[in-house]
Amino acid sequence: MSSTTGIDFSTLSLRDALDLAVLIEEEARDRYEEFAEQLELHHTPEAAKFFREMAGNEEKHRSQLAARRRISFGGEASTVTRAMIFDVEAPDYDEARAFMTVRSALEAAMRAEEKAYDFFAAAIPNVQDDEVRSLFEELRDEETEHKRMVAEQLEKAPADPEIDEEAFGDDPVSH
Amino acid sequence: MTTSSVATEAAAVAAPVFSPKDFKSSLKPIWCPGCGDFGVLQGIYRALAAIGRPSHEIAFISGIGCSSRIPGYTTAYGFNSVHGRALPIAQGLKLANPDLLVLVAGGDGDGFSIGGGHVAHAIRRNQDLTYLVMDNQIYGLTKGQLSPTSRKGLHTVTSAYGSLENPVNPLMYVMGYGAAFVAQGTPADIPGLAAMIEEAIRFPGFAFVNIQSPCVTYGEPDQQIKVHKKVMKRLEDLGHDSSDRVQAFDRAQSYGSELLTGVFFRDPDPPPTYGSLIRARKQELMASAPRREDILDMFVQD
Repeated sequence: MSSTTGIDFSTLSLRDALDLAVLIEEEARDRYEEFAEQLELHHTPEAAKFFREMAGNEEKHRSQLAARRRISFGGEASTVTRAMIFDVEAPDYDEARAFMTVRSALEAAMRAEEKAYDFFAAAIPNVQDDEVRSLFEELRDEETEHKRMVAEQLEKAPADPEIDEEAFGDDPVSH
Repeated sequence: MTTSSVATEAAAVAAPVFSPKDFKSSLKPIWCPGCGDFGVLQGIYRALAAIGRPSHEIAFISGIGCSSRIPGYTTAYGFNSVHGRALPIAQGLKLANPDLLVLVAGGDGDGFSIGGGHVAHAIRRNQDLTYLVMDNQIYGLTKGQLSPTSRKGLHTVTSAYGSLENPVNPLMYVMGYGAAFVAQGTPADIPGLAAMIEEAIRFPGFAFVNIQSPCVTYGEPDQQIKVHKKVMKRLEDLGHDSSDRVQAFDRAQSYGSELLTGVFFRDPDPPPTYGSLIRARKQELMASAPRREDILDMFVQD
């Protein structure tokens, strides 16, 4: 579940829509970077490497959107802040797990891309401005493309070994 | 520190602008991936950036436990102290240096079991401290024993047949002792949590924030972030009046059965802080105090 606070899509300007898109990519980049750090520390290098790549992708999208914003609106002040969005394209914090497989990492990324798709799809009917609608449709379609790319990688990813996760926990002594 | 991009002369003398990353230390958290404390830490960074005081004016005191590692992950002064003793140490620090912004962090075991006796006195003394409890309802660092907020019936390594004890309700506990600011948050809503921590810091006096921060390794499935997102209810959406202590008590009883987030109680007429009383007492006594140069004469006989 993603959320926004204090954003009225019916009055959103193109400048603010671009700023919003930049912040969404920035949040996802930061989260993937955090996940990569966490997993590097917890001896899960393959998943960490994948999350690092995802952070790179999000940064690439962020910088492209930021460039479009700069070209169209220069240094005009933004009215959209990071506090207004939460978990739009970023994977949920509890998606990371020590010793997670690349497949699990890909599945987490897929869920994040699906969230982002759902976010733009849900916002579009509320948008009044034609340019903003066009931007959101473009971003929604990009999420479709990202989902396709993750799905492709998932097909190639090796199956998870059959390990009982409970085997790593400390159960009560009587059980 | 991140300064404004418009570096005019006026901006050079204006208050510095901080970003959350300014409060992130180079030490990397070693919590289990998926731990709720990662989100809490982000909330703290955001709140500190909004407060706008530099790191050297902030001190973070903690006890022992997973969440008590938080001071090390910030650029503020930090003291990862001894189990259950964060509050007394923080009170001493605030007394010695009233200008410091003092934050206290710890877990539910640190705060309501071994350190439980200190909470009452911190509240009645009402020093200007912000106490953040990462309540995961388990002792996670020591591998999953019952904690004071563990639910009744819980099976753990120390309750193989299910806990027989009722959990402590941290919200009722602190309100019972007269805390003037009481809130509850979750890392399932980081913007909401950050705003709550900021409000707690700005509150003049002892402020308590209970943060239901899931333990990904020993916590129950229904206590995890994804579930929080589904079941949490914001007090403001329920029409809660945070200036009404009785209503706050009433809502706080839902701890353990419902996840209500937001400010339960904020005293609209905050009582004086211990620091302000100390200053007033000092001023009062100074009026009749002998002059410094006369003090020696009192001990010197002709």
